[in-house]
Amino acid sequence: MTTTSAATTRTPITTARTTAGAGTVFGVELRKLLGQTRTRVVATVLLVAPWIFILLVLHQDQLPLETLYGRYLKTTGFATPMVVLVTATQWLFPLIAAFISGDIFSSEDNYGTYKTILTRSVSRRAVFWGKVTAALVATVGLVIAIGASALIAGLVAVGDQPFITVGNLEVPSTAHAIGMVAESWLSVLPPLIGFASIAMCVSVLTRNSVLGVVVPVVIGLVFQMYMFLNAWDTVRHALLNWPMNAWRGLLDDPSYAEPFLRGLVVSAIYTAVALTIAYVVFHRRDIQEG
Amino acid sequence: MTGAREGEPVVSAQGLTKTYGALSAVDHVDLEVGAGDVYGLLGPNGAGKTTFMRMLFGLIRPDSGEISVSGVPVQPEPRRALAEVAGFVEAPRFYPYLSGRKNLELLGRLDGGLRPQRINEVLEVVDLFDRRDSRVREYSYGMVQRLGVAAALMRDPRLLVLDEPTNGLDPAGIRDMRNLIHRLVDTGLTILLSSHHMVEVDEICTRVAIMRRGRLAYDGPITELRAQAGRATRHLDTTDNHVAVEVCRGFAGVEHVQLDGPQIVFDADEATVERLSRELVHAGLGIHRLHAPTSALETLFFRLTEGGTGTPTDEEAAA
Repeated sequence: MTTTSAATTRTPITTARTTAGAGTVFGVELRKLLGQTRTRVVATVLLVAPWIFILLVLHQDQLPLETLYGRYLKTTGFATPMVVLVTATQWLFPLIAAFISGDIFSSEDNYGTYKTILTRSVSRRAVFWGKVTAALVATVGLVIAIGASALIAGLVAVGDQPFITVGNLEVPSTAHAIGMVAESWLSVLPPLIGFASIAMCVSVLTRNSVLGVVVPVVIGLVFQMYMFLNAWDTVRHALLNWPMNAWRGLLDDPSYAEPFLRGLVVSAIYTAVALTIAYVVFHRRDIQEG
Repeated sequence: MTGAREGEPVVSAQGLTKTYGALSAVDHVDLEVGAGDVYGLLGPNGAGKTTFMRMLFGLIRPDSGEISVSGVPVQPEPRRALAEVAGFVEAPRFYPYLSGRKNLELLGRLDGGLRPQRINEVLEVVDLFDRRDSRVREYSYGMVQRLGVAAALMRDPRLLVLDEPTNGLDPAGIRDMRNLIHRLVDTGLTILLSSHHMVEVDEICTRVAIMRRGRLAYDGPITELRAQAGRATRHLDTTDNHVAVEVCRGFAGVEHVQLDGPQIVFDADEATVERLSRELVHAGLGIHRLHAPTSALETLFFRLTEGGTGTPTDEEAAA
């Protein structure tokens, strides 16, 4: 090692050390997420997938008629983001939420780095909320980016022909159509945040990245299976998958927002309960590993 | 230190206790580290050193007792208490997919911001400047240890806490790390260093606490410990060990004599050994081997931590 005297060039400390808040942790967490090759690869694949999908559809005779908006894929470019949305609400959105959020706490356990960050000038509260905010922003940001990519892919590959609503009305205005597509995509964000919160809760409780990703996806699948059953409606309405489809009401004629509003409440409850449990456990735990 | 008053200990633990089920990892430990001390926390694996340090860093909460830094209790005010403390517990850990420099940048942000030049400075101190852009997963164990020291130095600490900093290093890595610590000692830092190597602590520290099964077996200046040590354990093998053992037992200054397989084991200081060897030759015995597998301090360390005769096992002697 060198014999430089850098270690001795200590700056006189005249004021208390600045402590980092949740905002600083948020920035650090985003940098860490972007620093991971797997995050960049998965995000790139998800952003490119709608383009490949619509180009393949245009080069085949068959259309996915069993999927809502599938029959309009060659008719209007606005059908592309809607087909992607219909497909993604089944399993992709819970998977994206779990992929980003289910690892954000447990990865520190896996790398043994909690002791590294918690021995800096940062509180556990700031670490928790910084991580939560970063996971939610990254999850929401990725889903919005996929929606935008799908919309642009449809408009470029097919064109901006009039959008057709669920109520079978033609929307000739391009701006209005873009607004309706955006509204549909934004309506899935509350349940998406709910799934991300469950993933973070599992990540904190199990300290295991695999479980943090798998458990929320399994929960999503179980919810989805219940949705297929002709079972008790009250339970169905309390599941996170229900508000994932609330956009259909917003695009119907006449439109109705009741499923969306109920979904907001359901999503808020899932989010609040999951994050409260996660916070209490995270704040009280001993850092033994690493 | 923040809020420190003159003469106030930098670290003060009172009745510090942490149990895991029936196991007392740290058992009513009272300890003080003064400003400018280079304080060695010694003990075998499982003695409670790391648990003590985790409580110092606020990573785990004590069951009872209190630990404070410069008069500020770590619980419930870890950020304030640890404002000018840095170091690592067990092996330092970093994000393997990021470079060493990127890791330090992120940690600098968590410290409230940092000059890029300071990162370069500390990387130079630990001799990692040339590898600053390599991912940490490509670093050797010793390089990660040194990056841990760099991450600690970035905080310009008044108290540097190093948990077994040479553990797992090869001989060259141990030499480099000890040299680095010597240089840091010269800067006037207060250092709390844990180790299970008596020689290392003897070489570096001014004060020492020896832990055994969660309790303090010794706490005081290293000079006092050296004075207590006096006699090292010796291993003797002669042409007739049965006669030699009787000579040893009757020799003034030779203690704890026992025939242990193919050799005689006893404790004695240097001057006594010199006289004893002459006596053995005078008795017509040829000496095949006479050596001290451990220093006098190590002998005392083994006695304090094992509560036995002070004779190390072959594995301990080799370590």
